[in-house]
Amino acid sequence: MSAASPTAVQGAASPTGAAGTKQGLKLVLKVWRQGARGAPGQFETHELQNVSTDMSFLEMLDVLNEGLIREGKDPVAFEHDCREGICGSCGFVINGQAHGPQKETTVCQLHMRSFRSGETLVIEPFRATAFPILKDLVVDRSAFDRIVAAGGYVSVNTGSAPDANAILIPKDNAERAFDAAACIGCGACVAACPNGSAMLFVGAKVSHLAALPQGQSERDHRALDMVAAMDKEGFGDCSNHLECVASCPKGIAGTNIAQLNREFAKASLRSGSR
Amino acid sequence: MSSVTSPNPPGALRKGPGIASALRPTSMRWILRFFGSSIGKKYVMAVTGLLLVGFLVAHLAGNLLLYADESGGKFKAYAEGLHDLGPLLWAAELGLIGLFGLHVFYALQTLRDNRAARQSRYAVSASRGAKTLASATMPITGAIVLLFVIVHLVHFRLDDAFKGDDPAGLVKSTLASPLAAAIYLVGVGALTLHLSHAIQSALQTLGASHPNFNPVREKLGLGLAVLLGLGFASFPVYALIAWGGGNS
Ligand code: SF4
Ligand code: FES
Repeated sequence: MSAASPTAVQGAASPTGAAGTKQGLKLVLKVWRQGARGAPGQFETHELQNVSTDMSFLEMLDVLNEGLIREGKDPVAFEHDCREGICGSCGFVINGQAHGPQKETTVCQLHMRSFRSGETLVIEPFRATAFPILKDLVVDRSAFDRIVAAGGYVSVNTGSAPDANAILIPKDNAERAFDAAACIGCGACVAACPNGSAMLFVGAKVSHLAALPQGQSERDHRALDMVAAMDKEGFGDCSNHLECVASCPKGIAGTNIAQLNREFAKASLRSGSR
Repeated sequence: MSSVTSPNPPGALRKGPGIASALRPTSMRWILRFFGSSIGKKYVMAVTGLLLVGFLVAHLAGNLLLYADESGGKFKAYAEGLHDLGPLLWAAELGLIGLFGLHVFYALQTLRDNRAARQSRYAVSASRGAKTLASATMPITGAIVLLFVIVHLVHFRLDDAFKGDDPAGLVKSTLASPLAAAIYLVGVGALTLHLSHAIQSALQTLGASHPNFNPVREKLGLGLAVLLGLGFASFPVYALIAWGGGNS
């Protein structure tokens, strides 16, 4: 394992930066570099000077990448889209914690003021057999898409938009559904789980639709098929460490895992008589 | 307006093969599917585990008779009562072996699944404070308990002297040896750590999870684990102090 020679990149010492005269952060980054799926990977060390504390973590990586591109090197690959904490595209592990140290925060919403000057940050991709690494910090999370395709939807006839409020939903149910629907599918739960289990994600999807009238007709099939798809993808079994809950940027509760278990058991029993 | 009627029969909207659609009427395939699934395995571990906890409560209650009188007469009466059950005792013991076997079998399965699901390790491992020493060491404490149970059965259940005149005497003479006492303390310690995660975890797996009572569930699980641990640990400790030397 030969780490590439350390590069020192000048950070965003923006003259108009709100930091004013305040000195930015000096950081040592150890970033996982991997060329392709299945290729061997290793950590590469970079030093960043004068990093603005107002930058998000992804903006800090942008600065690193601009420097790498200027030097004719391969930039660090990472996923992102909204950068508002709502799409679920971003996500990697900083010093052993999925999405970094701040509670209920995605890496795109994590700001550099969460770190101290002189810190060494070890940046790794999510590690789970069901999430193979594609390049650097990018992992293939299409296993989640296949689980959702197995039942994480409601079937409706297309056509003109239905009347709003045609189906009344009690406020408590709406809130429970919304709490579960807050899951953005980022995969941090799998990354944080010592067992690589996806049960918080699947629990959120199943609980979300189970709380709504539109979800009832397919309720049993959904639980059975999504669990079958989850198992097929090679995710592990929940042993209730609940590191997933502590790492979830959207605060999805562990009660969703218990509900998933109940839904699956009830659906299994009912399916036997069909 | 009949335009809402779907041309497809109900269920045809579902995409993909889906295991459920493979079910035949009155099929019992759900049993195979349930017990082969990740969640089914956890259910088996939770149910067998809780039943074994029930056994431990009864076992401790019986053992406490050792303290009832100096002569060990009450304990002997209890042991004889059990032996007099005859085939019922055999059935109960077979049941216990079955529960234990299922628990261990599914533990090995989930251990294998979970190892496979998380093959590569993080360079830096940092918990977010949710996982505990107990939850992280379940396979290890479980293995220690398994070994301990074997030693324990050899000491007592499989020793013919236990069916003799003085079962309490056998307990005393066995535990009075410092080595045996140490083995028992390690076994009971591992059991206590195991249960401190297991009881509340099993209830969560069975679906007993709600923000209103989760803190209570966790404390009750821990409390029962500690009570059982202290109760069982009291015998080797008492043996060393009160019975030590005399009979060893
Ligand atoms: S449950 Fe939380 S951590 Fe898991 S995918 Fe959804 S938002 Fe991400
Ligand atoms: S980029 Fe959309 S959640 Fe982070």
